[in-house]
Amino acid sequence: MNIQRVITPRERIGKVPDKLFLFRSCTGSMEYPGTENGIKEVLKILGVEVVMDPDQTCCSGYILTCSGYKPEPALAVTARNLGLVEQRYDGLDVYAFCNGCFGYLSELTHILNQSQSYKDMSNQLVGQWGYHYQGKARIFHVQELYYQLIEKIREKVVHPLTGLRVASHYGCHYLAQQYGILDDGDLPTFHEEIIEALGGTPVFYKERRMCCGYAVGRGFTHKESVVQPHLARKFDSAKEEGVELMTTVCPGCNVALDREQIKLAERGFGPYDIPVIDLGQLIGLALGVPVWKLGFNANTIPVDGILSKLGLGKGD
Amino acid sequence: MPREKDRDWDDNLYSKIDHYNLVENLEQCLQCGKCTGNCPVAAITPSYNPRVIVNDILAGSSVRLLDSEEIWRCFWCANCYRLCPVDIHYPLLMMQLRYMALENGYGLKYVLPINKFTFRALEKGLTFVPGKRGVEKIMRLRTSIGVEPWPQVSEKAIREYRAIFEQTGAKAWMENIQNMTEKPVRFSYLEGRMANEYTKGNNTPGTDRQSAG
Repeated sequence: MNIQRVITPRERIGKVPDKLFLFRSCTGSMEYPGTENGIKEVLKILGVEVVMDPDQTCCSGYILTCSGYKPEPALAVTARNLGLVEQRYDGLDVYAFCNGCFGYLSELTHILNQSQSYKDMSNQLVGQWGYHYQGKARIFHVQELYYQLIEKIREKVVHPLTGLRVASHYGCHYLAQQYGILDDGDLPTFHEEIIEALGGTPVFYKERRMCCGYAVGRGFTHKESVVQPHLARKFDSAKEEGVELMTTVCPGCNVALDREQIKLAERGFGPYDIPVIDLGQLIGLALGVPVWKLGFNANTIPVDGILSKLGLGKGD
Repeated sequence: MPREKDRDWDDNLYSKIDHYNLVENLEQCLQCGKCTGNCPVAAITPSYNPRVIVNDILAGSSVRLLDSEEIWRCFWCANCYRLCPVDIHYPLLMMQLRYMALENGYGLKYVLPINKFTFRALEKGLTFVPGKRGVEKIMRLRTSIGVEPWPQVSEKAIREYRAIFEQTGAKAWMENIQNMTEKPVRFSYLEGRMANEYTKGNNTPGTDRQSAG
């Protein structure tokens, strides 16, 4: 094989961009709108310009992987979204802030780039509106940018998270792209390093790498038989370590981990009351983004305790 | 469990399942079992065993696979893919196996609740748009944090998104499975394996958690 199989993060990620294309996440803009807004505010403070486009649609990977439809529309939608970025914003890298968008975009572009016939099929279909996907657009996750800017983040901390025990949830669809992600998929630590840079105490709990359980619609169909016992194991191990706050980098994981805690208690697990927020929102808090802009009202498990510990109120 | 007959076995099962050539290297499977050892679903449902499912696909045991309840339990967390020594993309195999089951009328109840959201996505260009009250709640939330009330998705985007689904035949496929008759699924892999509390009919969460922990 002549194709290089393992791409080191240094080769893949390169230098910090001045301007990036932020890929809209459906859940991140509807269920937890504070996630999208928080990331934009954080990137503004860090001096990175963000571009979004109203012509971009859903990545269409989630329901594909639920076997809701065959791969053709998802491949065409990917070619359309990325063709649009290539044509309108030449040279900009695509940054997703949802593990779903990141994972499915990486997977689907891999299929498009490896198979000429799928690429031709998709380009023929989206060509009728003038799009053409060449395979140039590169896909990254926003958390990779945070890690690259970790020194800048450390300098700009306004409200250090002193004494706050924060646990991280990386999410499977980021770590599963094992070739060319920022960290080792088996034992990643870069979230913990970011939390440390914000002044908090990172907590390593036993089921740290464990899936949120909602990955493929099993929250709709196997909630009681599979997802809830599975999540209870995760939360039990987090509770044992005295976790005060959990951070995710995927609005989808956020839905599962945040919304499900009350239902777990109803079924006799727990009880748990661990607030779950996005890593971008946590960085936003530490960098002094106004709290009302981070949209914590969307959370089921209230974040008020954490805010008062940091000396902040919801209206700040 | 009914005995399997000769005609239930199909030597070309793998190539039929991997219709889209997304896996390609299943025959390289070493049967090492790393996938099963790291599977969060196997930890809860012991009769679900990715290694055995791969073995059965290669052997061609179509009947046991298609009406199996186990194939619907995979989360797609892709831990198996990450750990696989020969990089078999088991989740993509599962996705295509489920198409086959659906087209034979099995497991419709596991896809139709999700398809409801796809049809709504064709009107909005976003997946998981809730009902009317949910939309009002989102608009309130978004207004309170100082952004426009609804994510900016243009009419053009929605029109093209819908057209992609119509022209690839995906919409017709989804409507077709809505009108199919559902056939029951069952646990196919109980025989000769350890069964856990759920399959014995004991559904109390406490006991299951103790055995899992």
